[in-house]
Amino acid sequence: MRPRHPIAVLVLLLSVAVAGTGTAQDPAYDALGLRPPLGLDSPKLDEPPAETPLEGDELDRRTEEITSLIRCPVCQGLSVADSPTDLALAMKAEARQLIAAGYSEDQILSYFERSYGEFIRLSPRAEGFNLLVWLAPILAVLVGVWLVATRVRTPRSATEETSVESDPELEPYLEIVRREVGS
Amino acid sequence: MNRVALILGALLVLPLLIFLAISFRYDPRAIDSPLVGKAAPTFSLADLDGHVYQLPESPARPVVINFWATWCQPCIVEHPVLLAGARRYAGRVDFLGIVYQDKPQLIREFVAQRGAWGPSLLDPGSEVAIAYGVYGAPETFVVSTDGTIVERITGVVTPQALEQILGGLL
Amino acid sequence: MISNLGSGLVLLSLLVCAIGIPVAYGAGARRSLRGLELSKRLAYLFGGLMVLANLVMVYALVAHDFSVSYVAQVGSRATPLVITIVSLWSSLEGSILFWGFVLGLFTAAFAYLQRQGHEHYLGYSLGTLFAIGLFFSYLIAGPANPFAPTPPPVPTDGPGPNALLQNHILMIVHPPMLYLGYVGMSVPFAMAVAALLRGQLGATWLKPLRNWLLVPTGFLTLGIMLGGWWSYEVLGWGGYWAWDPVENASFLPWLTAIAALHSAIVMQRRGSLKAWTTILVMITFLLTILGTFLTRSGVVNSVHSFTQSPIGPLFLTFLGICLFGVVILLALRVDTLVSEPSEDALFAREGAFLLNNLLLVAFTFTVLIGTIFPIVAEAVRDVKVSVGEPYFNRMAVPICFGLLMLMGIGPALPWGRASAAEIRRALLTPVPAALLAVGLTALLGGRDLGILLTGAMAGYALWVTGARGTEAMRRRRARGDSPGDVARKSLLRSPRLLGAYVVHFGVIVTFVSIAVSSTFQTSEEAVLAPGQEFAIADYSLTFKEVRVEQEPHRVARKATLAVNNSGRDLGTLQPAMNHYPTMQEPIGTPAVRTSLTHDLYLTMMEVLPDGRVGIRAIVTPAVLWIWIGVLIMSAGIGLCLVSPVAPKKAAA
Repeated sequence: MRPRHPIAVLVLLLSVAVAGTGTAQDPAYDALGLRPPLGLDSPKLDEPPAETPLEGDELDRRTEEITSLIRCPVCQGLSVADSPTDLALAMKAEARQLIAAGYSEDQILSYFERSYGEFIRLSPRAEGFNLLVWLAPILAVLVGVWLVATRVRTPRSATEETSVESDPELEPYLEIVRREVGS
Repeated sequence: MNRVALILGALLVLPLLIFLAISFRYDPRAIDSPLVGKAAPTFSLADLDGHVYQLPESPARPVVINFWATWCQPCIVEHPVLLAGARRYAGRVDFLGIVYQDKPQLIREFVAQRGAWGPSLLDPGSEVAIAYGVYGAPETFVVSTDGTIVERITGVVTPQALEQILGGLL
Repeated sequence: MISNLGSGLVLLSLLVCAIGIPVAYGAGARRSLRGLELSKRLAYLFGGLMVLANLVMVYALVAHDFSVSYVAQVGSRATPLVITIVSLWSSLEGSILFWGFVLGLFTAAFAYLQRQGHEHYLGYSLGTLFAIGLFFSYLIAGPANPFAPTPPPVPTDGPGPNALLQNHILMIVHPPMLYLGYVGMSVPFAMAVAALLRGQLGATWLKPLRNWLLVPTGFLTLGIMLGGWWSYEVLGWGGYWAWDPVENASFLPWLTAIAALHSAIVMQRRGSLKAWTTILVMITFLLTILGTFLTRSGVVNSVHSFTQSPIGPLFLTFLGICLFGVVILLALRVDTLVSEPSEDALFAREGAFLLNNLLLVAFTFTVLIGTIFPIVAEAVRDVKVSVGEPYFNRMAVPICFGLLMLMGIGPALPWGRASAAEIRRALLTPVPAALLAVGLTALLGGRDLGILLTGAMAGYALWVTGARGTEAMRRRRARGDSPGDVARKSLLRSPRLLGAYVVHFGVIVTFVSIAVSSTFQTSEEAVLAPGQEFAIADYSLTFKEVRVEQEPHRVARKATLAVNNSGRDLGTLQPAMNHYPTMQEPIGTPAVRTSLTHDLYLTMMEVLPDGRVGIRAIVTPAVLWIWIGVLIMSAGIGLCLVSPVAPKKAAA
């Protein structure tokens, strides 16, 4: 979070009172020799960081990891990590700041989710209805394993080589099969 | 007749078709903002000349915040609507424009050519745009005097929509 | 004029298909040779009309006849000739017309190549193909008519095709390959339907069915690879696969086609899995229609999706008819196919085939549910969710590992029942190769578990593939044949066996390259003033200048960077940003320096007013080998299509 100068805030409020909502005059800043505090005023995250601050290579690695879970809002399907667009770069920079400050993956994803909605998560959160997309494939594999297992448990006599089909047009082909098997 | 095949097939096919049919009702590009009904993120931003504008926690008047850019065609279409709106609600509603991913020179030219309906605020690092969950330009947020976002419009704002939303707030 | 000619041809083909359906099905049901003959003629006619209609459109495009609505939509006098021709499939209406072209070609080719024998199946197959042809002719003639006259005033110039299409040569090759693969799946589908209608799937029909499945699978393989390559060379994010809905749509039928090709082998060897193979073939076709619906109707978010269009509901209707048709057909007739006794020992080759099918179908199901889950979630919860790369990667990686493992274990196992000792010996022999591969991987810098595991399984599979693929050759060599003779005979007598292992070899190469390229990728970003340099891996890059080039259909801003690798001058690379008059945001063209071991990939992120540029550099190892691996796969598939030459004398 960017440190705010108390005097600047005071001046700002004062000038708001003078100039009306949403406006402030810069001569006041000039007189005091202050740079206006620009950007977001409300805190990004209300809670304290859940993890320890990071820097260097570890910070790079985590940034890459976490931003690859965030959907780039302007580029259909790509993650913030992969996207070269300006907005994605800005989001990556913000995520990096937050990671450097020690915020966790979950906190950062929740921060972006708060303004962009669930759509921003490239990988659906595994809870509630979303569990379906995570569990259905596993369930399918289990059903498949069960099917295969039940098939194999009931072996019958091995006579298929000739009982395949009594189609006479099949004979020359079967001949080739036999030769392949026999060779 | 193999009943298992029929029932299994129908069980797989029917839901698929139903969901696909329902999907026509939704526009894949229209994503609801979770911020509607919540407190608007507050900010202080400067325009091209360094004048600072602020959105406080409870503004004195309702505020229309519009994210736009000179490279965005719909923004050009929307411009006259906002000009008329700002004139009509002058003194009753504040209009703040936040320029999204653009260059100062182009903004100056755009405003000089087409007129201004409010300040053109710069958003370094797109910090405010991200806090508002902006997907693209134009996007418009209406903030009531208690600091709540009451409406968010993606795409071009129509005079009717503007009148309806602001009429309800005044 | 051109409008009328084109529309007329399409209406004629609609008529031909409408007549063809009862004639061909009738010929199939009554086994009428005369009806069959007529059906074949109608198939040739359908093909001819579709080819003509497409030629007419190409003529209109080249002649810049803006009175044809499609030309007015995608044509432009400034566009180069080649791109004008390929803009035939650059937009929705044209792409459906091109679909008709490919369908016509396949229908006619199928009727011609299967003209001899198969009377029992051929009529039914052609009937189904005509039914599909009827739907597409209807789309082209009505709702998606590219020949519709432009409402006056007729413009004198147009906007040109989608800018992304104009950006790279691969876009000329990729869509036709994909269409050949996608549309070609109609033929095996029609053949499977015919088998169900006839109530029999004999080996004589299985062989052509497998070939007609191999052909589109080969094209689809190439098409998917070219799409990935294109996205790598054009989209500028340094990757080749993003699990985008359109990519998934092309991948789904590929997976089921591969599954069907494997179960067909079991069917041929053991006589089992008949119904299952038939179902897989039909699902493959249904998935192409589903994929087309998803990408053409605008219901999913995708890079490549065409804009919202009226053909969405029509496609859904067609999909619904096909799905219900298949379910009802299966319910009525599937029992006629499940008649073979089966004894599939799990610890044998056929067990591996079953597992292979299980994994491939689970893979298909996973990709399918991931692709349509956003639609389901929105319908149920009224919330938009994303299912993207992290989800698919997490799900796909274990499945791919399983498939790679099976590719080693499966062919190592003997067919049928074998003693425990035999099995143990078969499975243990390749282990040294796996250990060697792990050692090699570690030596080359592989540290994490995933890449070491890949190394082990790839080494194992490579050994088995090599051993099985060369088994016949080695036997011939042991018999004392000369090396030339060995190669010739193996190629002529068992091309399919050889082809299958060539495909496996290609898959291993691709798999390892994908694993290596995604594990060892490094990237750097920098904003550079002229003369400044920055380093990535062993490269040092010096930014020289930015130039603006005015081309007829675009403005290109090119940055020139001198490339130096450990003191060796490697010339320059020029990443560019292209501005098209019809698009707001520029499209970047990355500059790629490909070598056998790795790629250096440069993209221009931004040009600042003071002349500095933002450059992103990515070094990815082994990218070239992904494409090479897929080419090997395609070559193997081609080899599988070669008919074996029977030896003159009975083989000893």
